Amino acid sequence: MENRSLFKKITGSREALLTFVLLVLGIFITVLNPTFFSPVNIGQIFRNNALTMIMALGMLCVMLTAGIDISITSTLAFAGMSIGMLTKYNIVNNTFLLFLIAMVIGCFCGMLNGLIISKGKVAPIICTMGFMYIWRGMAYVVGNSQFASGEDVREFAEFGKDGTIGPYIILIVCYALFFWMLKWTKFGRKIYAVGSNAEAARISGINVDNTLISVYTMMGTLAGLAGALSVSIYASAQPNMQYGREMDVIAACVIGGVSMSGGRGSVAGTFLGALIISIIAKALPLINVPSIAQNTVKGVIILFVVIFNVITQRMVDRQNLERREM
Amino acid sequence: MKRKMVSVLLTAVMAASLLSACGGAGASTESAPAAAPAAEAAPAAEAAPAAEAAPAAEEAGAAAAEEATGGADVSGKTFAIVVKSAGNPYFKKAIEGFTEVIEGNGGTVVVKEPSAATVDAQITEIQSLISQGVASISVAANDENALQATLEEAMAAGIKVNCFDSKVNADSRATFCNQAGTTEVGQALIDAVLDLSGGEGQYAILSATSQATNQNAWIEAMKSIQESDSKYANLELVEVAYGDDEPQKSTDQTQALLSKYPDLKVICAPTTVGIAAAAKVLQDQKSSVKLTGLGLPSEMAEYIGNDDAHSCPYMFLWNPSDLAKLAAYTSIALVKGEITGAVGEKFTAGEMGEYELKDAGDGGSELILGPPFQFNPENIAEWKDVY
Amino acid sequence: MAGKSGRSIKAEEKLTAKKLLFTWEGALILLFIAVNIFNMSISQSYTFANVLREMPKYLAEMFMVLPMAYILVLGDIDISVGSIVCLTGTLTCYISNAGAPFPVVILGCLGTGLLCGAFNGFITTSFPELPSMITTLGSQIIFRGIAEISLGGGGSVSYTNTKQIMPLSTKLGKTVPVIILVVMLAAVIFTVVLQRTTFGRSLYAIGSNKVSAFYAGVDVKRCRFIAYVLMGFMAGMCGLFLTAYTYGANTTTGQGFEMEVIAMCVFGGIASTGGKGTLVGGIIAGLIITLLRIALGQANVNSQMILVIVGALLIIAVLIPGIKGRFDELKKLRAAA
Repeated sequence: MENRSLFKKITGSREALLTFVLLVLGIFITVLNPTFFSPVNIGQIFRNNALTMIMALGMLCVMLTAGIDISITSTLAFAGMSIGMLTKYNIVNNTFLLFLIAMVIGCFCGMLNGLIISKGKVAPIICTMGFMYIWRGMAYVVGNSQFASGEDVREFAEFGKDGTIGPYIILIVCYALFFWMLKWTKFGRKIYAVGSNAEAARISGINVDNTLISVYTMMGTLAGLAGALSVSIYASAQPNMQYGREMDVIAACVIGGVSMSGGRGSVAGTFLGALIISIIAKALPLINVPSIAQNTVKGVIILFVVIFNVITQRMVDRQNLERREM
Repeated sequence: MKRKMVSVLLTAVMAASLLSACGGAGASTESAPAAAPAAEAAPAAEAAPAAEAAPAAEEAGAAAAEEATGGADVSGKTFAIVVKSAGNPYFKKAIEGFTEVIEGNGGTVVVKEPSAATVDAQITEIQSLISQGVASISVAANDENALQATLEEAMAAGIKVNCFDSKVNADSRATFCNQAGTTEVGQALIDAVLDLSGGEGQYAILSATSQATNQNAWIEAMKSIQESDSKYANLELVEVAYGDDEPQKSTDQTQALLSKYPDLKVICAPTTVGIAAAAKVLQDQKSSVKLTGLGLPSEMAEYIGNDDAHSCPYMFLWNPSDLAKLAAYTSIALVKGEITGAVGEKFTAGEMGEYELKDAGDGGSELILGPPFQFNPENIAEWKDVY
Repeated sequence: MAGKSGRSIKAEEKLTAKKLLFTWEGALILLFIAVNIFNMSISQSYTFANVLREMPKYLAEMFMVLPMAYILVLGDIDISVGSIVCLTGTLTCYISNAGAPFPVVILGCLGTGLLCGAFNGFITTSFPELPSMITTLGSQIIFRGIAEISLGGGGSVSYTNTKQIMPLSTKLGKTVPVIILVVMLAAVIFTVVLQRTTFGRSLYAIGSNKVSAFYAGVDVKRCRFIAYVLMGFMAGMCGLFLTAYTYGANTTTGQGFEMEVIAMCVFGGIASTGGKGTLVGGIIAGLIITLLRIALGQANVNSQMILVIVGALLIIAVLIPGIKGRFDELKKLRAAA
C-alpha cells in the first residue's frame, strides 16, 4: 500500500509529474555538461525566455476557455516595431511610456480578437490566423524597411540589459498576478467555468462573451508587453521578430498540462512547461548536439513529454478504476 | 426573404473589401506605368495558337524600341529589383541606390520585396515580373540553384537577368554583381581574427542560417586560407554556430559559445543580425572575448571601440547602395546590349567608372565592387548615419 | 465544375439555381467572378496566358487543400504539411542525384510523404487524448529537422538531372501546365470520395460527433488514420511538383504552407470545428485567393500588404455565418413578439 500511495502521489498531480520530468532532464544535462546549472546560465534561461514564459500565461487563460491564439507573435512584432520606431525617431523616449504604449497596442489587438471570437462566433484558430497575417503585415508597414537597433534603442535597452533585474521583476509580477487571479478571484473561476462548459456557465449567469473578450484582451496585452520586453532585451526591433514562436508558447502550455479542450490547467503547470521548453532551448547547444540536429531533438522531446503525460494519465485512470472495482 | 438578405449582405461586404483593396493597390500601380505597353502585347499574342508567341512578341517589341532610340537611353523601360525579403534596412539602402541610378537614366523601377526570405516567395515575385514584361531583373537570391527554372523562363521571355549580393548559378544569370571577392572577404575576416586573438587561440563563427550561400562561401574561404598559411596555425576554429539571423537565437548561441569555451578569444560573425546580437551579449557581460565580422555601421556604432567597454574593435562591410547602383548600371548595359555577360567584356558604370566582367569560377561571369571596407572607431561616426 | 456542388450531406432536397446562389459555394462563385473583374481592372498583365504561367506554384499548394479539407471536416488539423513538403522535396533530390530512374524518384517522393502521414496518423490515433494540433506541431518540428540534418551544413540541395524532372513542369501544347491537369484529376477524385462515398460520409459523421459516430459503427480510428495518410501523400505530391519548378530544395522549402492551405479551406466554408463544408467550396476559395494574389502581385502591391488583405478577407469570410446567425435570431425574436 505504501508504494502505491507514493506512486499515486507522483502520478496524481500533473505538477509533480512535470517536476519529475524536469529533474530527469536536469540530471541528464548535468551529466553531459556539469557546469550547466550555474547561476549565470539559470539567469540567462529566464531572461532569454521571459517572452515565452509571459505569453504562456495569456495562452493558459485562452486555452482554459477552450480557445487558442496564434496571432500573438504578430501582435508582439507589431507592438515591438511600433515602439522601436517611436524611440528611433525620438518621439517617445520614456521607458515606462514605451512599455505602456506597447501594452495598449497589444490590448487593442487582443480585444479585436476577443470581439470577433465571442460576438462573431468565429473559431479562435481561424480568427487569430487572419490577424496573424494582418499584424505581421502591419509590423512591416510600420517599420518601413527599417530596424531599430543598437544606438536607436540605447536608452530603452538599458532596462533589459544583461545584469539588470527589470525582466525578472516583470516575470515574477506577472506570474504572481495570474496565480492570484486564477486561484482566488471570481474572474479566475469564471474563466474555468466558461472553459469547462460554456452553456452551463451561461445558464448560471456568467457573461460568457465578456469573459472571452477579457481573456483575449489579456493575451494581447501580454503579447504587447512581451514585444516591448523583446526590444529591450535584444536591443533590436525587426518586423520578423519571434516569427513562428507562437508554437513554442502553445507547446509550453500543453507540456504544462493545459488541456486544449478547455477547463484544465494551472499557472504552476504552465510555468513548469515553459521552463522545460526554455531549458531544452538553452541546453541543446551546450551539450554538443550539432546545430543542425537541434530542431529534431527539440521536436522529439516535445512529442515525448506530451505522450508521456498521456500514458501516465491513462495509468492513473486505470488504477482508479481498479480501486473502484475493489 | 431571409436568405436573400444574407446574400445581399454577403456580396456587399465582399464588394467593400475589394474596394478597400483597390484603394491600396491604386497607389502602387502608378509606379509601373511602363509595364503597360509591354503587357498589351500579351493579349494580342494570346489570340495566336501558342502562348510562346507572347514573350516572342514582347522581345520583338523591345528590340524595336531599342533600335528606335539607338540604344542611347532606357526611358520607358522597366527595371526590376528583387531583394531577399521585406523589412531589411540593408536592402532598403540597396533599393534606394538602384532607384537613383535607373530613374536618373529615365527608366522606371519595380521593387519586389518578398514577404519571407524563401525561394517560394521569390519565385512568385519573379513570375509576376515576367507577366509584366519588364526589361531586366536584378535579384538577390535566397538559394543558389532553386531559382533556375524561373529565371530561365524569364530569360526566354527576353528579360535580362543579373544578380547581386547573393548569386544564382551560372545557367540562370547573365552576370553577378559581387560585393567583394569571396577570398577577399575570407582573407579580411581571418586576418581580423588573427589580429584580435593576438596570433593564437580559439575562435568561433556565428553564422546566419545553415543554407546561407554567402556565409557558407566566406566560411569555407576562411578555412582554406587558414590551412594554406602557417601563420594561422595557432588559431583553432572551435565551432560554427547558426543564429538563423534571429536576435533571440543568435543571443542564445553566443551565450552558449561563451560558456562552452571559456578560453574563447574571438567570435567572428559574418552576418549583420548575428554580429549585432553577439556584440550586445559580449558588451553586456563585459566579456573579454572580441568580436569582428560583417555588420551595418548604423546598427553597430554602439559597440565599436578599442577599449574594454566596447566589444567590437572593427568590422567590415561594403556599401549596399553602391552595390545596387552597380547592379543598376549592369542592368542598363545588358538591356542596351553593351554587354551580354561574357567574361572579358567591359562597360562604364556611370560615375562608378569602368568595370570588367571576370570569371566567377562557377562557369559564369561576375563584377567585383571592391575590397570590403573596414569600419573602426575612427570612421564609424561618419558612417553610422549613412547606412 | 460547380454544377453539382453546393449540396451538403444533409441537404437532400432538390437543388435549384436560385438555391445554389444562397449557399456558401454559390456566393463564392459570384465572388470568383467579381475578383476576376477586379483583377483585370488593376492589372493590365492579368491575361489568361500570364495567369496560367504564374499558377503552378500556387497549384502545388492546391494539392494539399484537398486532403486538408478531409482533416478539417474530421475536426482535426495538420500543421506539419509544410515540413512534409520540405522533407519529400529534399529526399526526392537525393534519390535522383543517387542515379535512380524517374519512376523510382516519384515513388520515393510519394512514399516519403505517405510515411510521414502514416506517422502523424499513428500518433494521433494512438493517443486520441492529444489534440492533433499538438501532435502535428511535434512532427512539424521533427520532419523539417530531419530535412535539415540530411541537408547538412549547406542547407540546400539541387536536382542535378533537371532533364529527368522537367516532364512535370512542361506545358501541354505550350499553354497548359501539366500540373493543372493533375490537380484537376485529384480534385475530382477527392470531391467524389468526400461527397459520394461511405468513407466521405463517415468523415462528416466523425466531425459532427465523434462519440455517436463510433456507436453508429464508424471505425473512427481507421478513418482518421486514412485521412492523415492521404494528407501526407498529397504533401509529397506538392513536394514533387515544387521540386520540378525549383530544381532543388532547402531548409525553408514549404515554410508557412500549412497556414495558407488551411486559410484556403476555411475561406471555402470548411469549418475547423468539423463536420461542415464541401470540397468544391475549398477549391473555389483556393482559386480566388490564388488569382487575387497573382493580380495584386502584378500590380506591384507590397507583398506584406497582400498578406494583410488576405488576412482581412479571411476574417470577413468567417464572420459572415456568425452575422447571419445573429440576423436569424433577431428575426425569430421579432416574429415571437
